[in-house]
Amino acid sequence: MALAPLDLEINRGEVFGLLGPNGSGKTTFIRLLAGYLLPTAGRLEVCGHDAIEAALQARRVIGYVPEAAPVYGHMRVREFLAFMARLRGLAERQIGGAVDRVIVALRLETVANRPAHTLSRGFRQRTAIAQALVHEPELLILDEPTNGLDPRQIIEVRELIRGLAGRHTVLMSSHVLSEVSKTADRVGVLLEGRLRGVRAMAETPDLEAWFLSLA
Amino acid sequence: MRPLSTLLRKELLATFGSPIGYTVAAVFLLVLGYTFSLTLFATKVGNLTYIFHQMYVLTILLVPALTMRAFAEERRSDTLELLLTAPVGEAWIVLAKFLAVFALVLAMYGGALLYAGVLQAYGSPDWGPIASGYLALVCHAALIVSIGLLMSSLTENQVVAAALTLGTSLMLWFADSASYLLPPPFDVLLINLSLIGHFRPMVTGSVFVSDICYFVSGTLLALFLATRRLAER
Repeated sequence: MALAPLDLEINRGEVFGLLGPNGSGKTTFIRLLAGYLLPTAGRLEVCGHDAIEAALQARRVIGYVPEAAPVYGHMRVREFLAFMARLRGLAERQIGGAVDRVIVALRLETVANRPAHTLSRGFRQRTAIAQALVHEPELLILDEPTNGLDPRQIIEVRELIRGLAGRHTVLMSSHVLSEVSKTADRVGVLLEGRLRGVRAMAETPDLEAWFLSLA
Repeated sequence: MRPLSTLLRKELLATFGSPIGYTVAAVFLLVLGYTFSLTLFATKVGNLTYIFHQMYVLTILLVPALTMRAFAEERRSDTLELLLTAPVGEAWIVLAKFLAVFALVLAMYGGALLYAGVLQAYGSPDWGPIASGYLALVCHAALIVSIGLLMSSLTENQVVAAALTLGTSLMLWFADSASYLLPPPFDVLLINLSLIGHFRPMVTGSVFVSDICYFVSGTLLALFLATRRLAER
């Protein structure tokens, strides 16, 4: 079993950081929440929806950015965002406005009409986040959102995530202590498939010491 | 139906915009034109039975190149994660991919209608077997495309997906060859599994409901299994 029984509540509007080394079960947990994996046992509720029995309703309120930040390379950025908006059930009259909104929010104006396969890693990551936000989800799930980015891009994505707090509930995973400490309101430590502890960042001045005490 | 139309539009753009699609269509029509001309000049008979058999073989050989990318590429590029976490059922995803590749194969078959036009212009072909032959090809294409999608759903390696599709199609083609080795009722089972056994009567103008049921049920079974495979993640 990749994950031990895990009981976790994330408050509406907060940025929750899931911290753990590679192989600790972060991606498995995130994929379960996003509906990409199905649990072998247990119960999963996302924003009041049973993620197993009412999977489609649960997926409607989630925006998900996988670690690889996948995009359809043959589509232009604007087309890709419109496609994802349609797929997420936005009405046709809302799509143009929603796409324009996320293009501005993610500062994608200069690449909006470029084929997605020509994007740099940073723009690709922003496009992947934009597709997850296009339908205004209640819960945004980001798997290792700063992986593979250069320092400037990391700062941009960090600021972006902080800017989403309040309007969206954000769950992000990372194996980088500094990323979580600078972005999250609360942090949970996942080790070998077990949630070892949850704390508010305001009460955790030394995240590294706390993490080492759990490991 | 909206998820289906959204997914189908994306799949049609990807299928008809892909160099693989154009290459396969070009090879199909080139080989068919060559054999049609040879057959017509050699036999001077105004029917398409021989051409329909050529199309049957070319479909088995070329469709794996069209279907191998369907899920294998989505898995490799991680975009399958986007599709499967969107609020759409797995059946829509499978159906959209099926319809897009099927449409391309039908377009290829449409190009081959020219040969029927040539026969009409220079002779008096019997249109009954030509119509039933096209019906046989459409049924055959639906089955091979659905088998291709099923195989593509099983692996993220495109070459493996193509090889599995080709192998399964060839086994179905020759299924009846081994029937004499088995006792009843297994020999009959193998005979009834045979692809060519259900294709040949239709090409010669004999349309049986049982033959159509074979292709339709085979297609639905493969699409169902591909959907189950996706649902199991």
